[in-house]
Amino acid sequence: MFDRILVANRGEIALRILRTAREMGIETVAVYSDFDQRALHVRMAHQAIALGGELPSESYLVGEKILDAAKRSGAQAIHPGYGFLAENAAFAQAVMDAGLAWIGPPPNAIEVMGDKIISRRAMKDAGVPLVPGLTDAVDDVAEAIAAAEEIGYPVAIKAAAGGGGKGIRIVRDPAEMDTAFRTASGEAVSAFGDGRLYIERYLDQPRHIEIQVLFDAHGDAVHLGERECSIQRRHQKLIEECPSVVIDEEMREKMGEVALQAGHAVKYEGAGTVEFLWSGGEFFFLEMNTRLQVEHPVTEMVTGIDLVREQLRVASGEPLGYGQDAIEMRGHSIEVRINAEDTAAGFVPSVGTVKNLRFPGGAGVRIDSCLYRGMEVGLAYDPMLAKVIVHAHDRDTAIRRMRRVLEELNVSGVRISAPAALAVLEESAFQEGDFDTHFLEALDLSKPHGNEEQLAAAVAAIYRRHRAADRALAVSGAARKGWRERSRAMTSAYSQAAGRPSAGGDA
Amino acid sequence: MKYFVKVNGHDHEVVLTERLGELLVEVDGEPMDIVYEEVDSLGQVLAITGEGAAFGVSIEGDSQRAGITIAGHFYDIEIEDERERAAHAAARAAGAGGGSVKSVMPGVVVSLLVAEGDEVEEGQPLLVLEAMKMQNEIVAPVAGAVVRIHASEGEAVSAGAKLVDLKAAEEA
Repeated sequence: MFDRILVANRGEIALRILRTAREMGIETVAVYSDFDQRALHVRMAHQAIALGGELPSESYLVGEKILDAAKRSGAQAIHPGYGFLAENAAFAQAVMDAGLAWIGPPPNAIEVMGDKIISRRAMKDAGVPLVPGLTDAVDDVAEAIAAAEEIGYPVAIKAAAGGGGKGIRIVRDPAEMDTAFRTASGEAVSAFGDGRLYIERYLDQPRHIEIQVLFDAHGDAVHLGERECSIQRRHQKLIEECPSVVIDEEMREKMGEVALQAGHAVKYEGAGTVEFLWSGGEFFFLEMNTRLQVEHPVTEMVTGIDLVREQLRVASGEPLGYGQDAIEMRGHSIEVRINAEDTAAGFVPSVGTVKNLRFPGGAGVRIDSCLYRGMEVGLAYDPMLAKVIVHAHDRDTAIRRMRRVLEELNVSGVRISAPAALAVLEESAFQEGDFDTHFLEALDLSKPHGNEEQLAAAVAAIYRRHRAADRALAVSGAARKGWRERSRAMTSAYSQAAGRPSAGGDA
Repeated sequence: MKYFVKVNGHDHEVVLTERLGELLVEVDGEPMDIVYEEVDSLGQVLAITGEGAAFGVSIEGDSQRAGITIAGHFYDIEIEDERERAAHAAARAAGAGGGSVKSVMPGVVVSLLVAEGDEVEEGQPLLVLEAMKMQNEIVAPVAGAVVRIHASEGEAVSAGAKLVDLKAAEEA
């Protein structure tokens, strides 16, 4: 095992990695930009090395600076976390070329999975199911109907040059094809100047299900079940859970097998995630994330496996040492991302200085956070400030626990995404497991969800009155100086009377 | 003292009266039995209403605009006393649909498309604001004249910052 590792990241994920490393007796090296000088990850590491520069592009994204910091600190390995350089194959190679261990998959696996077209081809060859469809354009209605028969209804007709929902038609029946084809083609011509259309299966009520996998460097691998991340907006996840309500034991085995197949196909090592779109009992490969994911804690809570620990073991060459039958899933876990954003105003970023901070507690609660009082939240970095994770024996209890936890959580100084998550958790459709990837976008978050408007009005008025009274009572600088000097003189007189030397100064 | 409090866009009236050292609270015409205790200087408030319904309330903001969190839910507050309400109403009447165009999100002003004194049409782009890596055109809400420009190109602006003052054109 390594004696010292460098964590090439910031925020909650840097803390997450530092924590496990410290527990394993591994010394930790943090790196930081000028903006992050006071950040928690800098304070919690054994060593901290300044990268210089305010922006990510001047600090965390500069491979040479990270490698230089590793050299100076004597670190033997680099953990990239997620984001920044985590999925940069060239950097992974540079780390290995510098004689250091890369705590992540081999550069080739990163490269193959990072390219949409190459990865789809590799997955097709490996027998991993893809959304059925044709890559070539169809020329006319007859050809479209023939293609649809082959793919299976419902199908989506999409503009080859498309985007933004234009030129898309959903066809559930061959009789609808004629009209749909002509209108889609017309729309595509007027929108993109290109009427070419292609056809793929349309997925009704798609859900985002992903499988966590772990590979060692000796060809052994296990999967750790699924996570459901359907509560998302513009591909930004808000709530994740493990297990998913739509996945039973049989489906889990099937998807797990396919995920392992995908990993073996690229000679994967370490922790990774294979993302699928799931619809009506079928599932299709989306992409593989060749890193630790934000939502990994829900898997840790349910399986009891520390994924960072496993990453470190694999990267240092240890075999996994256990097989699939050792993986047990217990209870239910939910994670909510706490982002600095105003969810009532369309999830626009919120900036400011964190003032009040109250974290929830109690049984089955885990908080992965980089928040501290006085922390500046700016626009240059990721808006995710914290994740709250709960674990309970079943989903219903986990939802109740998360609602309780979000009611306890309080962050002031910036707006946070917690009220939006709370609104989702309060929806009966979510509680019943009846949702898909469109759920969050369809939810009206601009309307208030709280029921204490009159109380809020009263408190706001009283608070304002108190502040006005404070200002009226505030003493002038001169008066304060006079009082201070008088009180000092009296303190000094008392202590002399008691036979002690004068306190004087600032005592 | 009477306060007009807008909570999440809904109007409420709060009357605070001090009698024999005690604060009497009336909300929307009904007396509210409330114990109000500030826990710290960071905006933490304990409120107990009626027969002992306890709430941990967090409040932040200034005398006119505040944010309150109660049990995880956020309440956006705009508050005016009678004098401010009259002043604001007068200002609105004078502006007659003009006023300030504000930034709805923090961002950076990429380019200014108008100059002070320009006549603009309703919907005419005034400036380009980059936020969340996307460029957004900020348009004139009404036709009128550009009275004042508060931002310069390359400047970072916060949410709610004034960008451009417009004077609405006279109704024909």
